[in-house]
Amino acid sequence: MIQVNNLTKVYKLSKKQMAEQKTKKNMKKAVDNVDIKAVPGEIYGLLGPNGAGKTTTLRCIATLLKPTEGDISVCGLDTVTQSEGVRNKIAFLTNEIKLDPQFSPTYMFRFFGRLHGLTEAQINERMKVLFEQFGITDFKDKKIDELSTGMKQKAAIAVSLVHDPEVVIFDEPTNGLDIVTARTVTDYLKELRAQGKVVIVSTHIMTEAEKLCDRIGIIINGQKVMEGTLSQILTETQGEDLEDAFFRLYEKYNTEEVR
Amino acid sequence: MNGIRTVAGKELARVFGDKKLIFSLFIMPAVLMFVLYSLIGKAMGGMMDDIEKHVPSVYVQNAPEGFDEFTKSLEVDSETTYLKSTDSLDDIKANIKSGDADLLIVFPENFLETVNGYSNGMEIPEVKTYYNPAEDYSSEARSTYANTLLTAYQQSLLADRVGDLNSLTVFQVDLDESTSIITDEGKASGKMLSMMLPYLIVMLLFTGPMSLGVDAITGEKERGTMASMLVAPVKRSQIVVGKIIALSLLSCLSAIVYAVSIIISVPRMFNGMEVDGLATSASFSILQMVQLLLIMLSLVYFYVAIVTLIAVFAKTAKEAGTYVSPVYIVVIVAGVLTMFSGNSEMQLPLFAIPVYGSAAAIQRVITGELTAAQFGTSILGIVVVSTILTALITKAFNSEKVMFNA
Repeated sequence: MIQVNNLTKVYKLSKKQMAEQKTKKNMKKAVDNVDIKAVPGEIYGLLGPNGAGKTTTLRCIATLLKPTEGDISVCGLDTVTQSEGVRNKIAFLTNEIKLDPQFSPTYMFRFFGRLHGLTEAQINERMKVLFEQFGITDFKDKKIDELSTGMKQKAAIAVSLVHDPEVVIFDEPTNGLDIVTARTVTDYLKELRAQGKVVIVSTHIMTEAEKLCDRIGIIINGQKVMEGTLSQILTETQGEDLEDAFFRLYEKYNTEEVR
Repeated sequence: MNGIRTVAGKELARVFGDKKLIFSLFIMPAVLMFVLYSLIGKAMGGMMDDIEKHVPSVYVQNAPEGFDEFTKSLEVDSETTYLKSTDSLDDIKANIKSGDADLLIVFPENFLETVNGYSNGMEIPEVKTYYNPAEDYSSEARSTYANTLLTAYQQSLLADRVGDLNSLTVFQVDLDESTSIITDEGKASGKMLSMMLPYLIVMLLFTGPMSLGVDAITGEKERGTMASMLVAPVKRSQIVVGKIIALSLLSCLSAIVYAVSIIISVPRMFNGMEVDGLATSASFSILQMVQLLLIMLSLVYFYVAIVTLIAVFAKTAKEAGTYVSPVYIVVIVAGVLTMFSGNSEMQLPLFAIPVYGSAAAIQRVITGELTAAQFGTSILGIVVVSTILTALITKAFNSEKVMFNA
């Protein structure tokens, strides 16, 4: 289970960043008092525009960033004081995380398997299952540099799952993928849910969130402005679909004062 | 330990799995050095041959009687033109300046009469030479005539005047100079090496970390591959140590390639030339070899640590490169300083200064003068500084601001 309590993350801006963001404040609140609870056997979707704080929230859960305020526990482990333990329980994937281009999917799979303390036999077993699942076997020994975007993403997902984690955190996992590869990824996320894993995904694609997520949290300007099942959100916002609901919330909360 | 081994293994695989990298890091420098030194040797040899084969164009004014025969008797090869005292020298001097003539020798008028009629208190006649030091042919001609021919001619005239030249010699100093030398052979033979080797070692050991460290750290940050490692359940310190170990091994290998290339290539530069007084060989005891090895290893550790620290803080490989270059210059300066300091007395604490202390210690290893205190201080100093740098790198790896610009 993932439990995020009153998460606030403040970045200190450099002068260059202040100039780029046209602000005189040297602090930026990327995430503001956010609570999230994701349970096993559930896909939790995090929705929001660019710069809303989705990636920062996911990075905090994945122990890459420390909360300025609040606390996060993953499978009962604190992300600050027990970060190594947390990292052993999670798979974390964002667009910014890439596999070394000069190695093959096989090498990277073994490398991360070893970092997770798996035996060669365990690595081989997981490799067989995941490479078949994602159709990687045909290009498993090619350099990642030589693979297409879809192939790279499939390899990255497979590698991130080498240790059979209890929690899966994917930041826009289908971003830039063709429809076939995107379907492979979403199908696998559903499979993980069926296996009782905790899955958190962030996405821009409203239709994908509608079909995939059991519950959805909408973040605008660092604040969670709504959370619930698709039907709860539609009822609450009077929206026709998720996109419509999102824009109603966006118009309401994307004000100058909040920014 | 699993994390360290795995990370180090990946770094080594990254280099040894890339043929282009192997070529550019280990093969190309060796080939380039060999080709470069061979070309320099060939060019220098060709130049020396050319000077030797050149027949100098020499003008002699007021040549004394018998000078021509004396010149021929010494088999000095030249195209000599004899001038009268009334001949103008301006054109000849202009030709020497432009390189068309090589040497002008001017004897005073009535030279032989003045020499033969010498008595106490009389003015000693001067034979004047004109040459162009900027021209190799001219310099060589002047050297041959002034050092060989005119000196011999002077001795000949002196013998005519006094009869037995030995009567002018009261005593001689060191007829056989080789029997006069009392020296430690190891120290003497290592003198040239002790001047050159510390500089070469401190400089060459840096080339590995400089080319590999930036890509292994900043390159990984830029490519986004570092973040994937940071979400693995391994301590950041293990990632740092793993990378440092791999980079150190690769740097040692790179330095060995450079060193072997130099050893093979440098003799080609001096091919066919006599290099007097250059004792370029030395034999080391096992203790000296162990000392040298430990100093080099500590130096590599320091280089890798400092390059890694720079690379961690840099946002791009280009930025890292601009920070590493001045450090390289400092390293070269430290090496050069020891090159010209000789084996003069150096205070013990100075051996603790990274690079400078190591270079001084290497110098003394080669000449067999390194004391245990100097050795210990140089190792301890550099290892302490490198350990502090490693701790700073680990701290930087744990910093959100540094690793994620957050």
